[in-house]
Amino acid sequence: MPELTVVGKPVTRVDALEKVTGEAVYGYDLVLPDMLYGKVLFSTRAHAKIKRINTERARAYPGVAAVVTGADAPWTHGESIKDKPFLAQGKVRYIGEPVAAVAAEDEDTAQAAVQLIEVEYEDLPVYTDPEEACKPGAVAIHEDFASYRKADFIVGSDRPNIAEHFKLRTGDVAAGFRDSDLIIKERYFVPTIQHAAMEPHSAHAQFDRESGRLTIWVANDAPFRALHEISEALNMPREKIRFINPLQGGGFGSKGGLKVEPIAVALAFHTGGRPVRVKFNREETFISTLTRHEAVVYCKSGVKKDGTLMAREMTIYWGAGAYAEKSPTVCIRGSLPAPGPYRIPHVKVDGYAVYTNKPVAGSYRGYGIPQGAWAVEQQMDEIANRLGMDRVAFRMKNIFVDGDIAYWGEQLHSVGLKETLLKATQAIEWGKKPPERPGVKFGKGFACIQKPTRTPTTSNAAVLVNSRGDVTVLAGTVEIGQGCNTILSQIAAEELKVPIESVLMHPLDTDVIPYDASTTSSRSTYHMGNAVRKASIHAREQIAAAASPMLEAGVQDLDFRDGKVFLKDQPQIALSIAEVVRRKFGPEGVVRGDGSYTYEIGKDLDLETGHSDHASAFYMYATQAAEVMVDEETGRVRLLRMSAAHDVGKAINPLNCVAQIEGGLAMGIGSALHEEMVVDSTGKVRNPSFLDYHLVTSLDVPKMVPILVECPEPEGPYGAKGLGEPGLAPTPAAIGNAVADAIGVRIYDLPLKPENVYRAIQRKTKKEAA
Amino acid sequence: MKKTIRFTLNGKSIAREVPNHRLLLDLLRDELGLTGTKEGCGTGDCGACTVYLDGRPVNSCLVFSGELDGAELVTIEGLRIGPELHPIQRAFIEDGGAQCGYCTPGMLMMSKALLDENPNPTEEEIRFALSGNLCRCTGYAKIVQAVQDAAAQLRQRNAAGAAGEK
Repeated sequence: MPELTVVGKPVTRVDALEKVTGEAVYGYDLVLPDMLYGKVLFSTRAHAKIKRINTERARAYPGVAAVVTGADAPWTHGESIKDKPFLAQGKVRYIGEPVAAVAAEDEDTAQAAVQLIEVEYEDLPVYTDPEEACKPGAVAIHEDFASYRKADFIVGSDRPNIAEHFKLRTGDVAAGFRDSDLIIKERYFVPTIQHAAMEPHSAHAQFDRESGRLTIWVANDAPFRALHEISEALNMPREKIRFINPLQGGGFGSKGGLKVEPIAVALAFHTGGRPVRVKFNREETFISTLTRHEAVVYCKSGVKKDGTLMAREMTIYWGAGAYAEKSPTVCIRGSLPAPGPYRIPHVKVDGYAVYTNKPVAGSYRGYGIPQGAWAVEQQMDEIANRLGMDRVAFRMKNIFVDGDIAYWGEQLHSVGLKETLLKATQAIEWGKKPPERPGVKFGKGFACIQKPTRTPTTSNAAVLVNSRGDVTVLAGTVEIGQGCNTILSQIAAEELKVPIESVLMHPLDTDVIPYDASTTSSRSTYHMGNAVRKASIHAREQIAAAASPMLEAGVQDLDFRDGKVFLKDQPQIALSIAEVVRRKFGPEGVVRGDGSYTYEIGKDLDLETGHSDHASAFYMYATQAAEVMVDEETGRVRLLRMSAAHDVGKAINPLNCVAQIEGGLAMGIGSALHEEMVVDSTGKVRNPSFLDYHLVTSLDVPKMVPILVECPEPEGPYGAKGLGEPGLAPTPAAIGNAVADAIGVRIYDLPLKPENVYRAIQRKTKKEAA
Repeated sequence: MKKTIRFTLNGKSIAREVPNHRLLLDLLRDELGLTGTKEGCGTGDCGACTVYLDGRPVNSCLVFSGELDGAELVTIEGLRIGPELHPIQRAFIEDGGAQCGYCTPGMLMMSKALLDENPNPTEEEIRFALSGNLCRCTGYAKIVQAVQDAAAQLRQRNAAGAAGEK
């Protein structure tokens, strides 16, 4: 590969200036001319029939422009199961479900009017536990499930309230357990948590009756998918719908799909063409947008005395909440690699996405990997301890390496996992004896993960080069804070050999930007990176062809550097690319390069066995290790340091890679030590605020040691894989293992808050006394 | 009830009739078009809406506009020193202190408040000062680094200034 000029360098973010000056405009900031203000009436019941809605008083309230209910918006949507109404239809399924909405001249008026809407409910049984909700005899939360439109991969079940059942069948687990010397089984629990992006959710919509066009301004991480869903739901041609993406103040998976959008759209059809803004405040964002799946994980493992893994059987109940959202694919892609990145001959996994009467669960950074890892990586430690093996040595004996056939039937390549394991554990001085101090216990732990990406998907891009040498990149990847605009600018600058300062990322507008699948699943650097690279090369080739007669040389004799095209053997004979474009196409001329990337898979996932020869375009590997100090009297866990070694394939921007890892770690630490959405038996969220839902603060983060491992992926741009999600995936398990190492007793339920740790210590003390 | 208030905003005098209960945050964002001040929670728990009121950092979501008569306000839009970025802004760019950027204005305002009071803070003092400003993207490491770097630059600048005066 020729020497890289800007790829691989710690370039500072291209979007930093507008963010430090306050000039950056986010979805929540947007004020449109003549806009109306929307407010929503949310369900106060977790599961109930709607007997009657009376909107008369709200409609008559001065300053109200529109009031809508489910009757005005008879549409449903959903990525793989069309089960979610724009506004409640005949019944409500969780506290926080949008039931009606008002558009008014100002926010106060809208709020006052919304409170005048009367709803009469008739309660139905409430399910807040996914295991209970799918027991035979449970009342159906979706009576019409059978008649919903669904994706091909939705597998039915005889049990009630199952939105998806994923099956993985490899070998014969019964035989595997028979041949094992040690069998361990346990139940693990991961509670519901929330993304808590700092920018709450909002959407603006406007419907122009004359043109029949619907415009939606929203910080959505997958505008093309959202456009498709709206188009399908409304039965409206795609060309009539336009999504404009202002900046997004974080998302972490919460801002894909449709959340506030359907409410804004429902209102926009009744405002006489005026735009309407619907903002959720923080509490509304907590209860009515999205959560991460709570999961009950049963895990049973069989192993030989020498540490050879023989069999693993898992049953995972993914609490989907009231609507399917992305639960079916979280269930599939979270359950598939749940048994961990290890060679296991006999594997059986059943994953169930189960409807409950709780806020909707959906995609969350890590997409089902943290839940499986919480169970399996703790069980791996427990097995090693019972066998009397070093925990690292036990992993090393079974861990995936290049060429292994994974238990889902795919041959793996570019597996940097071993290196991450060794480096992460070295970084916390694995094996060094902990200090002794009265009242506190020290411990170390780590966890390994492997994460697939959404496959197959497509990214398209275009690159424009004008007669001033400016480069504009048209890419549908959404800058959600992850740094894609910097990475993609680096790739365009690299291929066109121009300074990165001359590259501009075009704002995201579905009318002009080529199609991209989504900004999810850590897929952008790989997929969009490839597309932008191809588009840049396409533009460069056109410039070379135009320069060839000007420089009286064949294109094969030309080279590019510093914004110039020149003769390879006589670099002084050169033209700026600006001049080439101007001379060929005139002062207003533009060269447009196009690029498209699709990762093709051989066979789809087999629905009976879960097998696939290519389940993912690439895999991400990571190991994180933690050192903790536990106060025996209070149960408080203090993190002393954490290392995080991630196989990124190739770090296109090492500074940004480190930033992604640190941010992921901090999120993972929160989910390990204190984050949980507390939902009571009536389905009410008890802590929907930053006062009561404890996010990690600057005081909670320990010394972090990010480590980049580069095991190149041949198909990735410059060898790159993805990185956005894995940063938080092994974290809770690593900390859990360190805590168990410290206090000598294991805790199976997250989070590791002081009272849980304290009780575990007490149980152990009592047991020892008895 | 409405009230006419007169106050200074980023050095400019402003007179405005506002409902007493209008939050300063909403006044800035929806009426004055200064959306650099961010709304993260509306309940004083996240710090994204931090502005200076009479020289002290406050959560603008907890201030009623009716209280503002005679006040002096500075928002993120007024943080620059003339046309130049404030050293704390420059440090956030160089160290990668901003990711999604939504908490950034509040972080910058609170960081400046710290450095005004304590030109040479320890890491612990920085972490303590910023503990009311939530960030979901960065894990705080690069933010703390940026504040340290800005502090060093400011000290250097002040030392040079003091030497120049002699």
